[in-house]
Amino acid sequence: MSSLLAPPGRNHGFRWMPWVVLLVLVTTPLSAQRPDSTRRDSTVRRTAADSARIADSIAVLRDLERLQGEPRAQQGQQPGQGPTNARLLPDISAVGDLIADLSPKGSTQEGGERFSVREVEVALQAAVDPYFRGDVFLGVSDLEGIGIEQAYLTATSLPWGLEVRLGRFLMPVGKQNTTHRHDLHTIDYPYTLQRMFGPEGLKGTGIYAARVFAPFGFYQELILTAVDRFGEAPEETAPTIEPVNKKLGGLGYSARLRNYWDLNEASNVELSLSGVTGKQEQPLLVDGDVASFSTPARQSVVGADFTYRWRPLQQGLYKSFIVQAEFLRQINERDPRLLLPPETSPAGYTYAGPDRDFSGAYAFARYQLTRRGYLGARFDSFQDEAARGRTSTAASGYLEYFPSEFSKLMAGYERYSPAEGSATNRFLLQATFALGPHKPHPF
Amino acid sequence: MGPKRIITVLALAAAFVGGAPYAGTSDAAAQLKVVTSTTDLYDIAKEVGGNKIAATHIGEGYQDPHFIEAKPSFVLQLRKADVWAFVGLDLEIGWMPLLLQGARNPKLQPGQPGYIDVSKVVPVLDMARGNVDRSQGDVHPLGNPHYWLDPENGRRIAKLFRETFSKLDPANAATYATNERAFVQRLDAAEKSWQSDLAKIKGKPVVAYHTSWRYFAKYTGMNIVGFMEPKPGVPPSAPHLAGLIQTIKQTGAKVIVMEPFYDRKMADLVASKTGAKVVILPPSVGGAKGLDDYIQLIGSDITKLASAL
Repeated sequence: MSSLLAPPGRNHGFRWMPWVVLLVLVTTPLSAQRPDSTRRDSTVRRTAADSARIADSIAVLRDLERLQGEPRAQQGQQPGQGPTNARLLPDISAVGDLIADLSPKGSTQEGGERFSVREVEVALQAAVDPYFRGDVFLGVSDLEGIGIEQAYLTATSLPWGLEVRLGRFLMPVGKQNTTHRHDLHTIDYPYTLQRMFGPEGLKGTGIYAARVFAPFGFYQELILTAVDRFGEAPEETAPTIEPVNKKLGGLGYSARLRNYWDLNEASNVELSLSGVTGKQEQPLLVDGDVASFSTPARQSVVGADFTYRWRPLQQGLYKSFIVQAEFLRQINERDPRLLLPPETSPAGYTYAGPDRDFSGAYAFARYQLTRRGYLGARFDSFQDEAARGRTSTAASGYLEYFPSEFSKLMAGYERYSPAEGSATNRFLLQATFALGPHKPHPF
Repeated sequence: MGPKRIITVLALAAAFVGGAPYAGTSDAAAQLKVVTSTTDLYDIAKEVGGNKIAATHIGEGYQDPHFIEAKPSFVLQLRKADVWAFVGLDLEIGWMPLLLQGARNPKLQPGQPGYIDVSKVVPVLDMARGNVDRSQGDVHPLGNPHYWLDPENGRRIAKLFRETFSKLDPANAATYATNERAFVQRLDAAEKSWQSDLAKIKGKPVVAYHTSWRYFAKYTGMNIVGFMEPKPGVPPSAPHLAGLIQTIKQTGAKVIVMEPFYDRKMADLVASKTGAKVVILPPSVGGAKGLDDYIQLIGSDITKLASAL
């Protein structure tokens, strides 16, 4: 652990930082779970002062009973209670994602902040009618204002076990892309995903269809999507003279095949394949200068991901381990037909989009130390388009602490070694909190 | 192979497997397929359904039912089920919605006869009517969900299963009624044999780890004077334990009851300071070796507790 958290190189002034973070995160809460004799005397001394603010479990129960207006020994509520949501309100929840960037050479956040509310996500979820369910996730951030992160209608009554969604959703490509960023066990998405899909992952607006199969006795699921376009239009590239999705071939299409096996009651494996394809705006050069418009070119990403999980059932509150790895390859059309304004001679125009394919991968592991504490590490390696395909790497370690299911504190250290330029150290702290109904934990 | 071809191959493969028969469905085609969230509901369902149902369960008896993982293999169980019976009161809220959504089984949607929230037929304890928030820990605003630990609720659950199975499978209604009667008679007889142990327990102060023993306490008459958890679902803290030790000394509690899936270090620590005894009581069928049915479970917990007091 120390080797992961200790900043190497010239950053001696910050050597203490991860230890302070570790100390703050670990001491009080974990000592509550595993006190030892050396701490007991001081604990007892604190008891009197603390007692006023310590909610005793009996007091909680009595509070509940007082609210009920009935004595403790009395028989409980009778069957046939009224509805719990008589006004048919949707579930409303919010998740706050707070970041502190203590990196020695300046903030590594997109907006350059040292402390930021990276995003607040507001969710509205409910059954629409007997046939559909609606989910809306709005993202609010200083940088991007308010945006529709996801908004989809799910058909719940289709035959043949089909699930169909209409709207905007996280694209089912790869493993981690389907997880909200604030739910990750790392602070950011893996670099490979960030470079190929963007820092907030790949979303799409369109139709999503999925079906579960078990022809060989184990779980398989095929998910197909057709979306408005593959990814967002790159901000730094001029628009094309016609939308990239003018023809159906220019839409974004994806497929994901999940395969899942229980090895035994405590461990399981998932091995899945994904692919996504669509057209992207790519730059053109005219007589050596960047043209004022771009041309569509096909870009595809194919990949495979592997996840191994271990959680013994009886000790499942305290022990677990996960290993995950994902490989993605971006395949770029190298000689697309140039889309030029009418009556424009192609002479002098040169395609300036990517002229090679790029690969990237990461491996992540997380071990549960205590009921609330986890230690994780990730290694990223990817061919960097900005460095003509040379390989950049990053190694990072994370200490994650869950005061409850609804809050998370995380400290992370990362050593990022770009293909060109010197390596940098990143020190990041994250706090996330969830308000509202209890949401299922993604598997 | 280009990406277009890869996607085409994946799609064709899926079309192929989609046409293949689902493994394991033919042998149990005539039986009602029942999936329950816990082993306790499973056992009572089996008692009532007998060989007319094919039952499976999601959670194991030695597992904390609050924190079951929504594994895709459970989705396969639910895909073909006729009945999904669950404890309710938000016990399964952390994993059930994912499984039901993944199963895409219209029979198991809320409002359908196969969607059985068992809590609807039991008197619920600890139901809050005022404002409840998470500063109170992992509270269940709809009430305490551990109601199966009161045998009277075992009877109610059996009655609910008899009614449900009879509605979905009227041809075997007489069998379900007979089976339910046999279960209740067996429970009645067991209860008579527990009376001497219950007399030993009644009124005795005990400490419980979690609020899961409230119904058991109501039935047995044991007096819970404190909990290891400072608030439901919150691990014991040192200051809370210091206060709890005082409570145990003042009340003379001799036993700390806890489930097998909690870390007993804290309970052992408190026991060592107070002279109390830590008693592991399985809260569910299968929570310990040999506890293979509901009546055995209740009887075993009563006997174990009585002998420790």
